[in-house]
Amino acid sequence: MRYGGSQLMRRAKKNLWGFIVAALAWAAFVFATAAQDFKRPAPTPADWAALAKLPDFTGVWEVRMGGPPITNPAVGVPPLGRPAPLSLTPEYAAKKKQLQTDAPDDNQSANCLPPGMPGIMAQPYPLEFLLTPGQVTIVIEAYSQVRHIYTDGRPLPSDPDPSFFGTSIGHWEGNTLVAESVGFSPLTELEPRTPHSDKMRILERFRLADPDTMVIETTITDPEALTAPNTTSRILKRHRSWTIAEYICEQNNRNFVDRNGKAGINLTPPGGTASKPQ
Amino acid sequence: MKTILKRAVLLVILSAGLIVTAGTAAAHHGFAVFDTTARKTVTGTVKTFEWTNPHTWVWLDVPNDKGGVDTWGFEGMSPNFLGRRGWTRNTLKPGDQITVTYFGLKDGSKGGSFLSGKRPNGEELVMFGGGPTEDR
Repeated sequence: MRYGGSQLMRRAKKNLWGFIVAALAWAAFVFATAAQDFKRPAPTPADWAALAKLPDFTGVWEVRMGGPPITNPAVGVPPLGRPAPLSLTPEYAAKKKQLQTDAPDDNQSANCLPPGMPGIMAQPYPLEFLLTPGQVTIVIEAYSQVRHIYTDGRPLPSDPDPSFFGTSIGHWEGNTLVAESVGFSPLTELEPRTPHSDKMRILERFRLADPDTMVIETTITDPEALTAPNTTSRILKRHRSWTIAEYICEQNNRNFVDRNGKAGINLTPPGGTASKPQ
Repeated sequence: MKTILKRAVLLVILSAGLIVTAGTAAAHHGFAVFDTTARKTVTGTVKTFEWTNPHTWVWLDVPNDKGGVDTWGFEGMSPNFLGRRGWTRNTLKPGDQITVTYFGLKDGSKGGSFLSGKRPNGEELVMFGGGPTEDR
């Protein structure tokens, strides 16, 4: 009997542990799916009206490259969008070296693969900002891309599927839009041919330095790849007469890199005898 | 004439800018095939000008030493970039004579990265730098 009782006790204990494990698993599941399940309420007229109180990010902007120097002292950041140098951990410095040995020529952008984050925000092409209730949408001309920054209070996903732009949430701190992004595909790079880990996070601060000048301060953290956070400031100028144009990279791409990372170019003239590039 | 002068002055300003923007171009895609250590020039007749993404292409018929012509290919910035800097799809027409300044191909093929062009009347066609026409 004693033996039986003890067995019962053990069983009950086992069940209790089973229950705790199940409860924890359930909590983790609920937490993990919270972002996906987030349902934004229908916008009210007040939500639309509230947008008018935000800084005017509308229109088409381009990162400044060359041209007359910026003289506005209010901007107070280095011009030309030069990225700050990365301080890589020994592990990632070795990875970078290996990658450059393996593929000495070029990255997959030669094959029209869009760079994803963070590189897509530093292309020599304009960006258009669209503000709607609960969301900031960035239309990126380069490679005809779109980013979504959710400002509706949803949490960041705890275990997102890796993607080229990651998942972004944002909030307003005064007149600054602060966006946090996580979950980046290994196909994106810290800078050309420099890998990041799956723990990379990107924090962006968007603000107007003057009515037609935007500053985007981008801070990348990656506990495995970087020994310190990396911050780059870029200055963008608004162009009221511009519209975003299409950019279909596959239209007439004559550059390529092969499986071995060897870069090449297709020099068959239009109407030439050799077949056109695909 | 005023335009030509203005462009010539602009070009001088921009040559400095090119050092900066060449880095930008390298950050753009598919620059690995070019030898960026030396600028070369070649003169010929425009066969076709492809106003396409991700790059424009100038196809130039260049006389060879056998009495015929070879068609050379020069990769330029995209129509999106150039369209905001004074270029149109009609900037270069078949039959136009130009001298192209370019970065050659590492493998020695007939072509390269188009840096600038010059017409017989001295007009310069600047590709990189310059900033948008809206700012000029």
